[in-house]
Amino acid sequence: MDPIARERLFGFRHAFDSPVTFWITIAVIAALLIASVIIWYLHARGRTSDKLHDELVKRVVSWAVMTPLLLGPVLLGAAWTILAVAILSVLCYREFARATGFFRYRSLSIVVVLGIIATTFAIADHWYGFFVAIPPLTIVLLAMVAILRDEPRGYTQRVGLGVIGFLLFGYCLGHLGYMANDADFRPIVMLIILTVELNDVFAYIAGKTFGHRKITPHTSPNKTLGGAIGALVLTTTLVSTVGHFVFAGSGVDTPVKLIGLGLIVSVAGQFGDLMVSSIKRDIGIKDMGASIPGHGGLLDRFDSMLLVAPAVFHYIAFFRGFGLDQPTRIFTGGC
Amino acid sequence: MEEWRFEPAHDFGLSAEQRRLSLRREVGLESAISCFLWRSITRLYLAIAHRLRIRGRENLPTHPPFVLVANHASHLDAIILGGILPLRFVGAVFPIAAGDTFFTKRASSIFATAFMNALPIWRKSCGAHLLEDLRERLLKGSSVYILFPEGTRTRTGAMATFKPGLGRLVAGTSVPIVPCYLNGTFAALPASGTVPRWTKICVTIGKPLSFSETTNDRASWELIAAATENAVRVLENG
Repeated sequence: MDPIARERLFGFRHAFDSPVTFWITIAVIAALLIASVIIWYLHARGRTSDKLHDELVKRVVSWAVMTPLLLGPVLLGAAWTILAVAILSVLCYREFARATGFFRYRSLSIVVVLGIIATTFAIADHWYGFFVAIPPLTIVLLAMVAILRDEPRGYTQRVGLGVIGFLLFGYCLGHLGYMANDADFRPIVMLIILTVELNDVFAYIAGKTFGHRKITPHTSPNKTLGGAIGALVLTTTLVSTVGHFVFAGSGVDTPVKLIGLGLIVSVAGQFGDLMVSSIKRDIGIKDMGASIPGHGGLLDRFDSMLLVAPAVFHYIAFFRGFGLDQPTRIFTGGC
Repeated sequence: MEEWRFEPAHDFGLSAEQRRLSLRREVGLESAISCFLWRSITRLYLAIAHRLRIRGRENLPTHPPFVLVANHASHLDAIILGGILPLRFVGAVFPIAAGDTFFTKRASSIFATAFMNALPIWRKSCGAHLLEDLRERLLKGSSVYILFPEGTRTRTGAMATFKPGLGRLVAGTSVPIVPCYLNGTFAALPASGTVPRWTKICVTIGKPLSFSETTNDRASWELIAAATENAVRVLENG
């Protein structure tokens, strides 16, 4: 294997090459510690009820488990980042399939999972041509395999659910993994994960503070205009400030483009949240699962990432490119 | 335009532990794969170690639902009955296993569900509603149960009387019971043993029994249990 590629894929010694990576890691750990202390303090002073306290503890513990699972692979290397995204894709797809009942069409489910595996391979191989070829090929396969049941009734729904499942959870999320093909992927991926998650928190806090007007009463009754605007302002500020250090000297590093990046993260993040809410309302369920205590299912937590990943990927790719100086087709060779 | 119909998994929203204990558990890709692997390995083992012979395979129904019933002498029994069913049933086959033996410890409960796809039944406090849940699931049409109506493994080698709970699952329905007789499992791995002896095992599959004429009451349940027991005894002697 090309030594440059090997260093990127497995070179954990480079974890903190970029100061931004270092400071984001420190900030996240500090935030978790401070949150724990505040929760403990509020309870010790009798400011929070036992019920609320238990709920808060559950959430912080969930974050304490999730944070190393999210940041660990990014710090360790590109291979682990790509693998982690693949696992996240499969688990998100699994929740979707169980919620819609699509999992009962086992052969179609196998096609979707094969699509996710192929996507992961294309990413790890740094083979953009194959990465682009996978969605149409997966759709071709879904359309063909769905015919084998010889049951036209429900055909469109079966194929449709398969396509949605693959595109949203396999392919859209896959763009997050593809970013790991950049030499400088750690700060970029971390910036996106951090700000997408904080975007949710900002919307929640801003909504609680000055949110009155509901924007989507039928889709998600808790979303308010105040929350949406608050998140838009705070997230855009954060993204463009930190982004200035992440993208220093590259094509993205102008005030207007950085603000554009921030707006994309915030808008696509909030719409991703609403998209999963719409899916849940359509099916008639409250949570997408019970895998994360205090949060619901994985999809209830990572819903915002679904639309952000491809939008941000192509925005950055347009002005700066991903991994242009890196060896391509690492495993398959050729060009 | 007609709306799309969604039917979430019947065990949707349960935690992993609750799912393992749930009688409504539905099998996804992951357990289908693990069950498939386990079956392939155990079939190979049964063929090599026990020269497994199957008689009356043509008596197996081609579609779920049905209940596969046999005498119970060994932990091998459920593995054998699972192994003789066609591969396309993987994920639809549920051995009904004793909750107090297989589902009280975490590791064994994970094994019983991930590789055997077992559903728990609680012998001490087997409430009527649990059997009712199992019956309902069977009526929905996509399950095959493997059941040992003696309720426990024989300690002497002789078959005990069948419990009427079996009748409760199928009384008044068209779901057939397929009686089987397992010969040689007591010698291979009795309840007192830990390591199987590589002795010959033979399964005889009998003709399916239908009890659609019966009513759903205690008298019929006992009748069904007695009739099935009789069918297995006929296979034993024949």
